[in-house]
Amino acid sequence: MMAKRPISYAVLRGEVIESDLIEFGGRGGDITFLAPDPHRIVDRIPLASPRLMEDLYTISFDQILDYLAELGPRLELGRNSYLQEALEYSYDTAPTTRPIMDAFYHDLPFMFDRERIRRMVDFNIGIDHLEGWVEQQLNGSTVGIRAYGSRQLHIVAGNGPVLGALTVIRGAVTRGDMIVKVPSNDPFTTGAIARTMVDMAPDHPVTRHLAVAYWRGGDEALESRIYQPHNIEKICAWGGFASVKHVTRYIQPGIELISLDPKRSASIVGGEALASGETMRDVGNRIAADFATGNQVACSASRLVYVMCGTGDEDIEKLKQLGQAAYDAMLRLPEVISTRPKRYDPDLRRQVDTLRLNDDFYTVIGGRDDEGAVIVSHTSDRVDFWEYLGDRTINIIPVDTLEEVLDVVDAYTQTVGVWPDSLWDVVRHKGALHGGQRFVELGYGFNGAGLVGPQDGIEPMRRIVKWIVSERPLPGRPTIWDAGDQVKMLA
Amino acid sequence: MATTAPPRDTAIEREAERWMNDPYAHFGYHNTRIHTLPREEVAAVQLAAMNLRLQERREQVQMLAKLADAQGIGQVGTLDELAPLLMPHDMYKSYPQSLLARQQFARLNSWLTKLTRYSPEDVDVSACDSIDSWLTAIREETPLDVGASSGSSGTCSFYPKSKRDYRLSMMGLRVQLAQKFGEAPRPGDIEDKIHAIIPLYKDGHASMGAFGKYACEIFGKGDPACWHYCFDFKLSSDLMWLAARLRAAAARGDAGKVDVPASLLARRAEWEESQKAMPDQQLAFVNRMIGKLHGQRVFVMSTSNLLYAAARRGLDEGLSGVFAPDSVFMGGGGAKGVPLPDDLEEVIEKFFNTRRMISSYGMTEMNSFSVLCDHDRYHVLPWVTIYLLDLETGQPLPRRGRQTGRAAFFDMTADSCWGGLVTGDLVTVDWDHQCECGRTSYALEKQINRVSEIQGGDDKISCAATPGAQAEAMEFLTGFGG
Repeated sequence: MMAKRPISYAVLRGEVIESDLIEFGGRGGDITFLAPDPHRIVDRIPLASPRLMEDLYTISFDQILDYLAELGPRLELGRNSYLQEALEYSYDTAPTTRPIMDAFYHDLPFMFDRERIRRMVDFNIGIDHLEGWVEQQLNGSTVGIRAYGSRQLHIVAGNGPVLGALTVIRGAVTRGDMIVKVPSNDPFTTGAIARTMVDMAPDHPVTRHLAVAYWRGGDEALESRIYQPHNIEKICAWGGFASVKHVTRYIQPGIELISLDPKRSASIVGGEALASGETMRDVGNRIAADFATGNQVACSASRLVYVMCGTGDEDIEKLKQLGQAAYDAMLRLPEVISTRPKRYDPDLRRQVDTLRLNDDFYTVIGGRDDEGAVIVSHTSDRVDFWEYLGDRTINIIPVDTLEEVLDVVDAYTQTVGVWPDSLWDVVRHKGALHGGQRFVELGYGFNGAGLVGPQDGIEPMRRIVKWIVSERPLPGRPTIWDAGDQVKMLA
Repeated sequence: MATTAPPRDTAIEREAERWMNDPYAHFGYHNTRIHTLPREEVAAVQLAAMNLRLQERREQVQMLAKLADAQGIGQVGTLDELAPLLMPHDMYKSYPQSLLARQQFARLNSWLTKLTRYSPEDVDVSACDSIDSWLTAIREETPLDVGASSGSSGTCSFYPKSKRDYRLSMMGLRVQLAQKFGEAPRPGDIEDKIHAIIPLYKDGHASMGAFGKYACEIFGKGDPACWHYCFDFKLSSDLMWLAARLRAAAARGDAGKVDVPASLLARRAEWEESQKAMPDQQLAFVNRMIGKLHGQRVFVMSTSNLLYAAARRGLDEGLSGVFAPDSVFMGGGGAKGVPLPDDLEEVIEKFFNTRRMISSYGMTEMNSFSVLCDHDRYHVLPWVTIYLLDLETGQPLPRRGRQTGRAAFFDMTADSCWGGLVTGDLVTVDWDHQCECGRTSYALEKQINRVSEIQGGDDKISCAATPGAQAEAMEFLTGFGG
């Protein structure tokens, strides 16, 4: 009997497609997987007509929550064979390791908690704006605002399997019609969630407004048919220069691009960290939690740690101790949080080994076993290959002033971890001006409220809806036809 | 690491020393002999040379000593055993950037000293205020002529090669290009002055600026009348560095943060102007040379596109066969992404009266250029050991069958540095193949890619940033070949 081959199922509006399978992937030693030939299903991927959005307005927000709350428990790994299969195959495609993927999948149902979702929606958009018109009187008119669901296409990142689930939730609660183009580094998870939805409620509007498919990003013949203003209104593209770059060619009047650009993250630490063995252990734990969690594949994982300790010889000696503390803390993390990387980037290894010889300027802690490494700079320079830091490898850099650190905070900087409290206000304020987009207490980059609000300097949930305005005159407003000379044409 | 000492063979060691010291003289400057040595003999000499060099250089090159100590390698029993001692090319840019931005040339000298058997740190650089003045001071007071190049990351790399390395490199070009393979060299191939036409700079520390004077020495036998360059000034390494930093800053999305000295930043317009005017000036130069050296034997080292433009125009004006038929053309290089015309070779050969425009593969960090044969393979000189490294593990791939991997080399003729180098190039070698051209030397297939271009799977999307590819224009600035 032939071994079963991994399939990235297309799930189109309540129907699971597993015919006309063709092979994808396999580049650079990756595994190959099968998916329905996208050219054969392309006409069924977009919603046929905006008219078909109406059914989403036959159900209330609470009914959508009911749906998601019912879906959550069905996504428990132990009782869901689709997810079990997807997880098994994802071990090969994911950038992270088995224990971390197991933990992601295990936690999936908790994302569907009814109250958690309700709080997220209210925090972002306001449920009343989704449920009806929010009216007020303004400048002699009654102005109503309502957030309508859009027809949207999501190009989802694959470095964490939670992103597909988050997309499904966001689309459902905003009454969107969602096309999810899954990535080759996570081609199975979203399809498994969608198949569960089909089993649960095949005719439910939320099920009917989800289309999940794989095609090779950049397939122009295919994408030019889907990416048309009569099919979709919004494209939400996560990360990866290549994915965003090839999407931009389809942007035209009628299609809005919501770009969650590729980002990197950093930490800013006060010199107090080196005060004692105790502070070093504490800060070492915090640094490790912010860079090693999920094996540093997320954009929010820290890669550069600036310590405002000065660059004297004594400072550097202490800084090496902090580096050792961070390294030790990384090794202590439980394997559901962090493990030896799946594959240590050979180019990075070569670069790290090069610096190991250059011990006048750098101290390399660990890394001999591809387990991850801490590189301590002896000058205020980040390593030349800082953009390639990954696989649990960070660069700790001593600086004399905060200004030097802010110089490297830019538009590509997402999360900035800050310690101690005394730096909080100034780093948050000046960092935001320089381009930083998220500020957290050091050690809590992955241990906060979740992706509940703004991200990368924008509010994705407020962007995937259409903000519709309605206006009616209040009694007594002069008319153009009777009193045109009294009407001021003000924008 | 346990290694077995090869049986000591003093005859082979003596041969190895001759290869290491002056290989071209040893082989009578005879291109055909050099490329038809039995492979087993070459391997034996290479192994002997490696051990001699390792013994000698680990006492002289601190970074090699560190690497050898860390790897526990004192001598090698096979060619492959040397692989852990090949130095990544990144080593030559592994200094902290701020040293350059703050012009701390003394500290840079200490760093550089660890990479060569010479001692740039003995040179007083306290008065230096630019990369050019620093490298000039080293050039004047030591046997070194440091090669500087700026990559797409904006980092300047410094390879402390010696003047002797450059001369050897140029001699390799003359021997391999001026002679027709399969024939004995004619006396003129070795003895005559050949006009060197180099549509680049009079001087400089990047190869585009440095080659000229060595071409004059080797091709023109030192006669300044035989040296023809386009730009009567020195290619500034400071300006090249500035250009690289500007490009890197722009790629980062913040052109305002360029960490170079203010005095240098002020010269930005100067650089941009010179770059804009360059193509027209080069074309005018080549056209001048066509008139001046009509019918003479010349050596031309240029980009293919420039030669094509000059040739196309000449043919359109009814001219052809402008130089002597035994002239030597080395093309290639040029800006990546600029497509070469289909009739490139035909047009250049007809107009300039040359048998063939020859391409070569080489880099600042090696003495030895590998010249493309009629069967489209770059033949590697016998004093260079080729390694193909597995992209994942960095281990050498077997020396049999057709293999593709990261190119690494050990060049036993390296005078200043260690000579073992891991490159960023992806190459293919068919170890069992004897090339149809008649050379027995191992050869790289014509298709050479950057390792960085081919890595990364298809259609993987991540929210975490990785650097975009922005190398195209820099390829030109970093010079010919590698």
